[in-house]
Amino acid sequence: MSARTVGFVIAVLVVGALPWLLQAPYWRGILVLCAMNVLLAISLNLVLGYTGQLNLGQSAFFAIGAYVSTILVKTYAWNFWAASLAAVAAAGLLGLALAAFAVRLRGHYLAIASLGFAVITYQVLVNWEKVTEGVRGIYGVLPPVGSMVGLFYLVAGIALAVYVLIDNLVRSPVGDTLRAIREDEVSAASLGINGALWKAFAFGLGAAIAGLAGCFYPGFVGTLVPDAFNIIESFTMMAMVIVGGMGTMIGPVIGAIVLTFLPELLRDFGEFRLMVYGLALTLVVLFMPGGIVQAWRTLAGRQWHT
Amino acid sequence: MAYLKAANISKSFGGVHAVQNVSIEVPENSIFALIGPNGAGKSTLLNLLSGIYQPDAGQLVFQEQNLIGLPAYRRARLGLARTFQKIRLFRQLTLLENVRAGFHIHQSEPFWKHLALGSVGRFDAEARELLDFVGLGSRANERAGALPYGKQRLLEIARALATRPRLFMLDEPAAGLNASEVDFLLDRLTEIGRRGITVVVVEHNMDLVMNVAHRVFVMDHGEALFEGTPREVQDNPRVIEAYLGGEFAA
Repeated sequence: MSARTVGFVIAVLVVGALPWLLQAPYWRGILVLCAMNVLLAISLNLVLGYTGQLNLGQSAFFAIGAYVSTILVKTYAWNFWAASLAAVAAAGLLGLALAAFAVRLRGHYLAIASLGFAVITYQVLVNWEKVTEGVRGIYGVLPPVGSMVGLFYLVAGIALAVYVLIDNLVRSPVGDTLRAIREDEVSAASLGINGALWKAFAFGLGAAIAGLAGCFYPGFVGTLVPDAFNIIESFTMMAMVIVGGMGTMIGPVIGAIVLTFLPELLRDFGEFRLMVYGLALTLVVLFMPGGIVQAWRTLAGRQWHT
Repeated sequence: MAYLKAANISKSFGGVHAVQNVSIEVPENSIFALIGPNGAGKSTLLNLLSGIYQPDAGQLVFQEQNLIGLPAYRRARLGLARTFQKIRLFRQLTLLENVRAGFHIHQSEPFWKHLALGSVGRFDAEARELLDFVGLGSRANERAGALPYGKQRLLEIARALATRPRLFMLDEPAAGLNASEVDFLLDRLTEIGRRGITVVVVEHNMDLVMNVAHRVFVMDHGEALFEGTPREVQDNPRVIEAYLGGEFAA
């Protein structure tokens, strides 16, 4: 068996065992949240880590997935899976549309454009009350499966499948192309790589995956309010990616797990637990820019590999 | 019939006429050298040919195909490859990954295969062959940014060759190389020419130019000064005055 297969089997076993190791309803809820955060971290890492685009608006696509799927189910009585498919497509297409405008922008400008998109999306959710119910929120949203354990298995299973697919993608020639764009767009162009096209592709795919995560959020919480998709969410996703180690597959997953559980363990400190994100991000950027993965590799003395 | 032809092309930056009314005709299967003092406009001309810049005026034709308006990535697909004066490798990637990225335009596997299977169609074997060609085969898994300077120039050559170019432009490939590295580069350039790839090389190293070039085009102050064989260039009084100084006068 290859190392990948071993890793996959271990991941399946861990996912299978987790709800039985953490039986309290509260912790099972955190497990679902964690699986969603893993999906979000994978989605942002594709854009930020592999393609090198500073995207500060990922929370918008998470929101679009959540709202489109919920509205289709609640208002138009769609089946959850059909609604989810439409929601993923909507998030992906909006991601592509934003990318079509933003791909010419780099660094700070792309960051500002994507941040602006997230602000606009948030404002639409608050103000377009006829459709979104605004700050009053949408109540009584049901999850696609009844039990918390079932929901965890569903979201974790999807996260695992998405991980495998994206892992394949970054090992493929497409991965070489995306990393080439991240490293140097001018020389990538000299090799015949259409940077604008591939950046839009990564942006759109990342948006679709964030939208997929969004489909499961409202049913998990039971209600849907715009505040769940505040700009801060984009930064927590970024913290997960960077703390774990961007541009590696496993790093953002570790980052998502650590930054989901660590604040929960510090609940006694009240709102200060949110400072964990800021503190973790600051420490990592200052002392281990490659994140947890790089720190581990350095300790283990392993050779650099992307 | 010229393989690559530029007619009266000009490019200005602000008030500076970097390239003014320059016409060149590169014959197929030749090694064509662009020389001239610093600031003569050689690199700008190469950037105009490869599509980094678009000219303000003039025509550009490669194999009867108009190049004006085509972005760099489209020109690469027509068979134009290049290296950079200031090295532009994918520094965080391995040597193998750098060269593999160069095969981008030859990918034919459908997208679903990349998602489902990962490493299909990666051109690993071909990329290793190119690394061997520039003498870097044993370092395939090292990070490009950690290579010594001279080796980085060779890696850029291997990466550009992965596009399977018909015309290969090199911007000062010998800059910063020691004597034995220059000898190796000279040998490789000759071999590239022998494989039927037309070469355009901007170079300051006169040994290299005089040894490999079939035609030499001399620029000064953004304009064409002289064109001829290496011998004619060495003997031309205007070139000697503008550029070579006393070095080749004897």
